[in-house]
Amino acid sequence: METLIVLSIVLPILAGFMMLFAKNDAVTYILSCLMLPLLSGMGFMIYTADLPIYINTPDIVNTFIIMFDFGLLAYFLWLGYQRKSLLVGLLAVVQFILLIIVVYMAPVSGTANIYVDKLTAMMYLLVGIVGVPIAIFAAKYMDYAEEDKHKFVGIVVGFLGVMNFAVSVNNIEWFFAVFETTTLASVILIGFRGDKEAVDNSTLALWMNQIGGVAILLSLILMIKDMGVYHFTDLLALDKENITMAAIGFLSIAALVKGAQLPFHKWLLGAMVAPTPVSAILHSATMVKIAPFLLLRLSPIIEGTLLSKMLILTTGFVFVVAAIFALTQDNLKKILAYSTISLLGLMMVAAAVGTPTAVAVSIVLIVFHGFAKGFLFVEAGVLEKLYNAKYIKDMNMLLTKAPLTMLFIFFAFLNMTFIPFGTFIGKWLMIEEASGFLSSGSFVLLILLVTTGGVFLSVLYIKVLGVAIKHHRFSTFDFTPMPKTFLFVGVWYYMWLLVITIFIAPFIANFIGEIAAPIAGKAPIYADGLSLVIGKSTLYFWQIAGALVLLLLIHAAPLFVKFKKVDKMHPYNCGEIYTRQAESYDFDFITKYEKRINSFAITLFLLVLILGGQLL
Amino acid sequence: MSMRSKSPWILHYNTGGCNGCDIEILAALGPKYDIERFGMLNRGNPKQSDILLVTGPVTLKCKNVLRRLYLEMPEPKVVVAMGACTHGGGVFRHLYHVENGVNGIVPVDVWIPGCTPRIEAIIDGLIEGVEIWKGKTKEKEYLVGHGDDLLKKIGAIDD
Amino acid sequence: MMAILFTLFAPIIGGFMYGIERVVKARMQSRIGPPLLQPFYDFVKLMEKRPMMVHSFHAFMGIVFFISTWFAMAVLMLGNDLLIAVFFHIISILALTIGAFSVRSSYSIMGAMRELIHLVSYEPVIILVVVAFYLVTGSFDYRMILSADTIPLLKLPLVFIALVGTIPMLLHKSPFDIAEAHQEIIGGPDIEYSGPFYEAVYTGRWIEYVYVFFLVFLFGGSNYFVGGLLVVFTFLLIMAIDNSTARLDYRKMLKFAWFILIPLAIVNIFFLALGGNS
Repeated sequence: METLIVLSIVLPILAGFMMLFAKNDAVTYILSCLMLPLLSGMGFMIYTADLPIYINTPDIVNTFIIMFDFGLLAYFLWLGYQRKSLLVGLLAVVQFILLIIVVYMAPVSGTANIYVDKLTAMMYLLVGIVGVPIAIFAAKYMDYAEEDKHKFVGIVVGFLGVMNFAVSVNNIEWFFAVFETTTLASVILIGFRGDKEAVDNSTLALWMNQIGGVAILLSLILMIKDMGVYHFTDLLALDKENITMAAIGFLSIAALVKGAQLPFHKWLLGAMVAPTPVSAILHSATMVKIAPFLLLRLSPIIEGTLLSKMLILTTGFVFVVAAIFALTQDNLKKILAYSTISLLGLMMVAAAVGTPTAVAVSIVLIVFHGFAKGFLFVEAGVLEKLYNAKYIKDMNMLLTKAPLTMLFIFFAFLNMTFIPFGTFIGKWLMIEEASGFLSSGSFVLLILLVTTGGVFLSVLYIKVLGVAIKHHRFSTFDFTPMPKTFLFVGVWYYMWLLVITIFIAPFIANFIGEIAAPIAGKAPIYADGLSLVIGKSTLYFWQIAGALVLLLLIHAAPLFVKFKKVDKMHPYNCGEIYTRQAESYDFDFITKYEKRINSFAITLFLLVLILGGQLL
Repeated sequence: MSMRSKSPWILHYNTGGCNGCDIEILAALGPKYDIERFGMLNRGNPKQSDILLVTGPVTLKCKNVLRRLYLEMPEPKVVVAMGACTHGGGVFRHLYHVENGVNGIVPVDVWIPGCTPRIEAIIDGLIEGVEIWKGKTKEKEYLVGHGDDLLKKIGAIDD
Repeated sequence: MMAILFTLFAPIIGGFMYGIERVVKARMQSRIGPPLLQPFYDFVKLMEKRPMMVHSFHAFMGIVFFISTWFAMAVLMLGNDLLIAVFFHIISILALTIGAFSVRSSYSIMGAMRELIHLVSYEPVIILVVVAFYLVTGSFDYRMILSADTIPLLKLPLVFIALVGTIPMLLHKSPFDIAEAHQEIIGGPDIEYSGPFYEAVYTGRWIEYVYVFFLVFLFGGSNYFVGGLLVVFTFLLIMAIDNSTARLDYRKMLKFAWFILIPLAIVNIFFLALGGNS
């Protein structure tokens, strides 16, 4: 089993390097396609094995990783110099100093550096099933007027390995190393096109993520000084009274930064200048998912503390506000980015609540959001390359030209909010769970935040779908086949989402429940046949099936519903002849409040640290 | 069939008259006369209406609008022309900008005389219209002078 | 059994409620008004019209709206979780708004956008109402709420007021008939439906009546008499408000919902939750 784990980390990185150096179409294709069965198969085998597994690594690896850390920071420093960014350089220097302190202080510890539990195995699976198709997609995508195809796909595939590594480390020092490596990868990917905007945005991503790095190092120092441990498992084994909350507070800050929560959301928005697979990979299976993952690791410690409540308020606030901001956008990728930020907020809310059900909710959201966002970004890439549509208003008449792509987009959007899909289940369980704790004020607010955020997201998606379907005549459809790779990736995600949704009850109760159990205990969720039972409430299978049928009807109706015998009549226009074009609301007035909301977010952010971390 | 006659919905269209008739129609909706007794509603939407209640002498601008509104109403439907203007232009007759009544534009079923008609006359006319409406079927009805040229001219063929 | 019957007959009950509404409204304006069965006459009439549509997708969405509203009703009556039923309601809104967006009519699109604003206004309040029920009776199951020993109204007066405030938004009654806005955008999302397709939307609206007033009925708890009284009282109140107010614009609706109704519900829940544990 140890071999498999090491393989699932090393194999993608090796494959990435091979692509980088081979610079050959066949190699790139075959390797990226090969990764799909390999990574998901290994992930599945690890998942079914007897978990958790601890792997002790030789000291040389530790030394190597510390060397790598210093090298990385030196590279960041150089980047700061090269791009004339004082902030980047300064943060790199600060991290350099802090890292020296950490290395100097760190006691010798016998705890294994690699720790693989069910959660990690699930992330492997997610990376395998959701992440690899994006690499396959990227291999085709880069054929359309882009440069450095092999380098790009190589980095994407290698990134998957780094992600696998990130979710399996136990040593927080190492975690810092992979945290910085993901930062590096995102900087390279965001700045991939090399124009000014790309470079600026990648610099933004760099310094924002470095703040997370500083937070991790500070937390490490506190941890080692006060508690003498620097492993996740050691930390979890400690008594709650002995834990310095400040250390956990700093770690949470790192999670918030990585999860692009307000006010650090700009870097994720900046990622849209990169080729679309970058957004797909950052938003779906990797990178931002480190944030809820980190909070899930810490959630047994956080649960019930003031930090938990502050985190709930902050991330819940982000959940609502990001959804509202998304309403003002008209760039499809920006809308998707904002909705990611928003849903990451919900995931972190759930992780911070930390009760068994809430932890399960967080995991459900990670899985479904990964699938749906990967799907959406892949299709956004298809729209961009094949149909030149970047803004939602360009999607207006696309249904006739790109029926299949629009169908996929429609389905993925439905997945993001409607019953009976996973994201809805997350929201529902969250409200049910919070209802049980109403005596605490923050939970009343939590319900309000979850509800309103959910409503705003629904409105957002309906609005986008509405704009996409506007002004159509639905007379003829052009089923020109798109490239096989694009079709395969689309169908792949579609089928997965469909199958999981049909079997959602056993999936959540057995699969997710099993993952959540070691973290916070067994959640009171079980499957009765295909019905989902939680506590006293049941989501019956006939409800799931009915909702699914209705939604499938709605999203596929433009293509196949034809009332032959009914006469057509032009729309009512006061009897006038000229056709009017109506636009939907752009909610522009919200931008007026953006500054105020940002400053409020900063306040909340500081409160997390000060109140939650008990720095007072 | 008889159940249907209890729910005639009205589309009221003023084709450029003096608004006297419209005031009377509003009065008919009010407490004293209350045509909702007969299930009549003023829908303002041709797609959901059964009775086209036309007032005014039909100015040239309104001519095609009236045609399109008529086409947008699903059958069975009746047209009730109300007031002297609709009959032949009334006081506007032979002016440069009017069509001299609705007769040459849409097929009219009931004429309500008067300038303005009394409300009793309106109600009487509407009930008469409902009686005619009862006998009609889903069969398509056409504009006066129906033909592809006309449909093209008013832009109803496009969609 | 009762629940199944109730679900099956929901359109008919809703139709009667709509009929009563029209009579009551007319009497309030000292008119005689239409007969009680008027909605059913309309129903028959609409069935006998020649079907006409803008395009198939739009017409089909009208039918899906009807089906999904009825299905939401079934979920409410046959399931055991009010929360799920509330979420199911969004599917019908999806069908209605997507249909309305799909036609090239400015009124329709404007109506759809306003419908979404409606959703933003009432949805949080409705969920807070459901959560408040949970707080009082410890269950999301309406059967448990109906057999609770307490009358929820006594503990949730402010929540009840909040619900009454949202009913005009849910049912498109004045002063919040913003999405439908007759004579302004001529029915908003409904405008392009005609004949049998409009009939689907029309009937779907009746079911919404049942759906909404069932929530009101729950405030009576096990005391059905109080529940019935509440329904009658709310019904008359809504009619009176509908008759005596003019339409506001959507900003006012949003502000009313967010700065008056939601805080009302929150305050109620907050104090109840704190009081319950100390």
